[in-house]
Amino acid sequence: MDGFNLPLLLALAAVAGALVWRRANTLTWLLFSWGALWAFFKFGFTVPIPQSVATIYLGITTLALVCFASSSRERLEEVTSPIVRLIREPRYRLPLAALLVALPALAAYNVHADMNVPLEAPGFGREVHPAPPTEITVHGETLDMATADNPYIHLHEDDPAAYEEHLENGRRVYYENCFWCHGDGMGGDGMFAHGLNPAPSNFNDGGTLPILQASFVHWRIALGAPGLPAGGTPWDSAMPAWEKFLTTEEMWDVNLFIYDFNGFEPRALGQH
Amino acid sequence: MARHGISITAAHHPPAACSAAPRAVAAAVAALLATAPLMAQVDLGTEEQRAAGKVVYDKYCGQCHGDDGDGNGYATLRVKPKPRDFTTGKYKFRTTPNGMLPTDDDLRRAIEVGLPYTSMPGWPNLTSAEIDNVIYYIKSFSPDFENPDRYGEPIDIPPPLESTEESISRGRVVYEEQGCASCHGEVGRGDGPSAPTLVNDKGDPIKIADLTQRWTYRGGPTKEDIYRTFSTGLNGTPMPSYADSLEVEDRQHLVNYVYSLGDGDDPGYGTLITAVHAEEPIDLQNGDALDALFADAPMTRFPLVGQISEPGRNFYPSVTSIEAQAVYNRDEIAFRVRWNDLRADTTGRNGPSMDVPMWDEDNGIGGDAEDGAEDAADSGDFFGDFGGEEAPAAAEDDFFGGGDTGDDFFGGGDDGDDFFGGGDAGSGGAEFSDAVALQFPISLAEAGSPLKPYFLFGDSQNPVDLWFVNLTYGVADTFRGRGSDQVVPTEADIVEAVTSYDQGEWTVTYKRRRSSRAGISFAEQQYTPIAFSVWDGFNRERGNKRALSSWFYVYTEPSVQQAATLPVLRAAFLVLAIELLVVFLVRRRARQRAAGSDTAADAVAAAGAPAV
Ligand code: HEC
Ligand code: HEC
Ligand code: HEC
Repeated sequence: MDGFNLPLLLALAAVAGALVWRRANTLTWLLFSWGALWAFFKFGFTVPIPQSVATIYLGITTLALVCFASSSRERLEEVTSPIVRLIREPRYRLPLAALLVALPALAAYNVHADMNVPLEAPGFGREVHPAPPTEITVHGETLDMATADNPYIHLHEDDPAAYEEHLENGRRVYYENCFWCHGDGMGGDGMFAHGLNPAPSNFNDGGTLPILQASFVHWRIALGAPGLPAGGTPWDSAMPAWEKFLTTEEMWDVNLFIYDFNGFEPRALGQH
Repeated sequence: MARHGISITAAHHPPAACSAAPRAVAAAVAALLATAPLMAQVDLGTEEQRAAGKVVYDKYCGQCHGDDGDGNGYATLRVKPKPRDFTTGKYKFRTTPNGMLPTDDDLRRAIEVGLPYTSMPGWPNLTSAEIDNVIYYIKSFSPDFENPDRYGEPIDIPPPLESTEESISRGRVVYEEQGCASCHGEVGRGDGPSAPTLVNDKGDPIKIADLTQRWTYRGGPTKEDIYRTFSTGLNGTPMPSYADSLEVEDRQHLVNYVYSLGDGDDPGYGTLITAVHAEEPIDLQNGDALDALFADAPMTRFPLVGQISEPGRNFYPSVTSIEAQAVYNRDEIAFRVRWNDLRADTTGRNGPSMDVPMWDEDNGIGGDAEDGAEDAADSGDFFGDFGGEEAPAAAEDDFFGGGDTGDDFFGGGDDGDDFFGGGDAGSGGAEFSDAVALQFPISLAEAGSPLKPYFLFGDSQNPVDLWFVNLTYGVADTFRGRGSDQVVPTEADIVEAVTSYDQGEWTVTYKRRRSSRAGISFAEQQYTPIAFSVWDGFNRERGNKRALSSWFYVYTEPSVQQAATLPVLRAAFLVLAIELLVVFLVRRRARQRAAGSDTAADAVAAAGAPAV
């Protein structure tokens, strides 16, 4: 149920249950259905759907309910007779008066609220992991993205001591260059992160490093934001092109280090 | 568990049974209770706990605090303040009296919550046990933690007094009397006369706290935190303890005053400036009229961070936020920006395209002699006062120039109050001036397109315009940027500016015609990208070494605002009219039917129709 507002759905289900139990009449059901769908479109999603889309859904819903109500004479009768009673019978005079005041007030409030929506800076979507180019050139050397791998990864088995040295060098590189943005503990929460949009990647997150190949990460480290295609909004990202500051070896070392620190492994070559 | 408890308690307090008077019993119990925490204080943990703490430390802390706890990690060269040197046993944020060791809870707070606006934000992912263990390990770096005499009892923090007018004004008097203003400035913006001279006990320059920005307090933003901070002082820094010089009540008033200086617990960072419409002309020379114009314009605070994506990186910017507002009339638009700066640096040079040598990034240290000489040669300043041969030597043993004044840490010859500013010995000011720039794209992308110029001074395809003000001159210069190393002066538009510095706050007001042929035009109801740069000359910021923001927006509000009253009334009356009509129709039908002349279905149809 990810993406939905669960408490709201449960509450609506509970109300529906109560209506069944109390054998609510058709009018009540119609009003409830309309209200429930309104609440669902407005508050039901964790990432709200745009207002214009919600309005269209609600319009369709209203039309469907009207069609339903007027689909037969009996049903129409069922729906309208409580209204007629409310209007006619003297004992409902007070509720009727309340309704006559409440509805215009509600409409007025709605218009007022609509006219006072706080202004917001325009927001645009951005591809977090756009497709990389087929080859990249770093420090004058061309790498085929499909086959390139971390040249030191094999030391893990072949020469653990040398591997440790590369890791330590990666640690140095990270804490001399990266933690301001990606964070002391790599949570994407460094001391500058709050001032950057898009926010620096969170490397603790299983949805980042483990789903990327080492060559992808190398591409991102070496060429940074300026190396991104337009879908990744390169003009907004602060991710530096580390080619300007680091040697190729340092970049592969920090690549090793960020995987090791978080206990992740790069996605294997050839896996897509 | 290796507890070095203090066993003097029993000797000082005879067992309660020996004492006849109940009062004495109560006193003894109270004293016993008060000493109880003291007994628990020397707690160095078990061998295993320290070993487990070392694992945490080596993974998460050593890179900054040094693998040996001496504060010399990989990051040390590039951060300010420096990571704590755990071998000294000196800690800033404590509940214990000045000079004493912190309690475990004090350390836990620093680790868990972190020290905002330093390179050590909190460590929320560490478990409670991991934090316990790493605390034991940290304590093992300093022998002080084995010495019971170095432990003090946490101070009492009384509940805050109500923040009345009298309390605040009494607090203000205390603030003056105690000399807080000499460091923190008259209204707390960190601009006191001593502020630029302060160093910690290792000789490193220390940035004073801006008391108006409570969210940057590392010791915490609450009244209790403030009370604690100036009662216990910050060990190893010039921030003294006022426990001895101030009565508790005066301290409580002082808390209320300090608190009243603040702009809130939260910076409330925004993403949008709303430019409001005005009928009046915008006259930069008429200060009062200008203030009146801006009085109605909403103010938005934006975060600033160091520029660290392009060479000339600024790892420890001075200024961490800027406030901005905008007003426009028929022909012109004006922007006003404000930020706090501990000193107005109005004697030096600055510019968005000034070169910053690579070694200057590393705290000015470690630049090899050649770089220094080169810089002196091509910029004619910095080491310039000392001629070609002396410059390399100066660069080696005295990182900010200066040369022969051995006791003057940051050189600057006889210019004692200028610890960053080499080169300008005797001139009394900094080598680099304060400066600010607004940045706009030169044109807007098509509607719906997210395209913008690269936020770091633009790119070759999408240039930006900079409205740059060097606060030495206080006039606006325009630059066109096509990338961080491609910033050139342009005459495209005439931008005017006025500037002022008041009690630690810079205010710069810009004005330009709304329409422009070469640059951006500000049409009504338009969202225009805007970004900011601030340079603090005191912190040697110039060129790419600056504080900057991401892209944000200015929205030019429509000049003719539709008032809400009319549409609101219209909606209400429309609904009321429909209601009344329905009621009328239904009742008429009912009457007619009562007269036996109609069928129920017709009434129903009439009632149903308007509802659709
Ligand atoms: C100035 C801030 C900044 C610094 C310093 C920085 N980064 Fe980044 N980095 C970002 C931002 C912002 C993003 C996310 C936006 C993007 O993808 O470009 C990012 C993204 C990345 C990514 C892509 C992750 C993904 O999921 O695609 C990698 C890998 C990365 N950074 C590694 C590093 C390394 C390694 C360093 C240090 C050598 C570093 N970064 C330093 C800001 C920074
Ligand atoms: C990226 C660098 C960095 C890392 C990593 C780091 N710290 Fe810090 N730490 C600092 C800095 C900088 C300060 C000093 C801030 C100041 O002086 O205001 C500090 C201060 C402290 C203090 C002293 C607070 C006081 O009251 O004086 C403690 C305790 C501390 N750190 C513990 C830790 C622990 C434990 C870890 C690992 C979990 C850690 N730090 C990791 C940079 C770091
Ligand atoms: C000699 C100069 C000096 C004087 C006098 C002084 N302070 Fe400070 N104060 C400092 C410095 C320096 C710091 C920042 C220390 C640091 O960076 O760790 C500071 C920090 C603070 C902080 C914030 C600490 C935090 O949580 O980040 C407060 C609050 C404060 N001072 C209040 C006061 C008050 C109130 C007075 C007067 C009773 C006072 N100071 C007098 C130098 C001074």
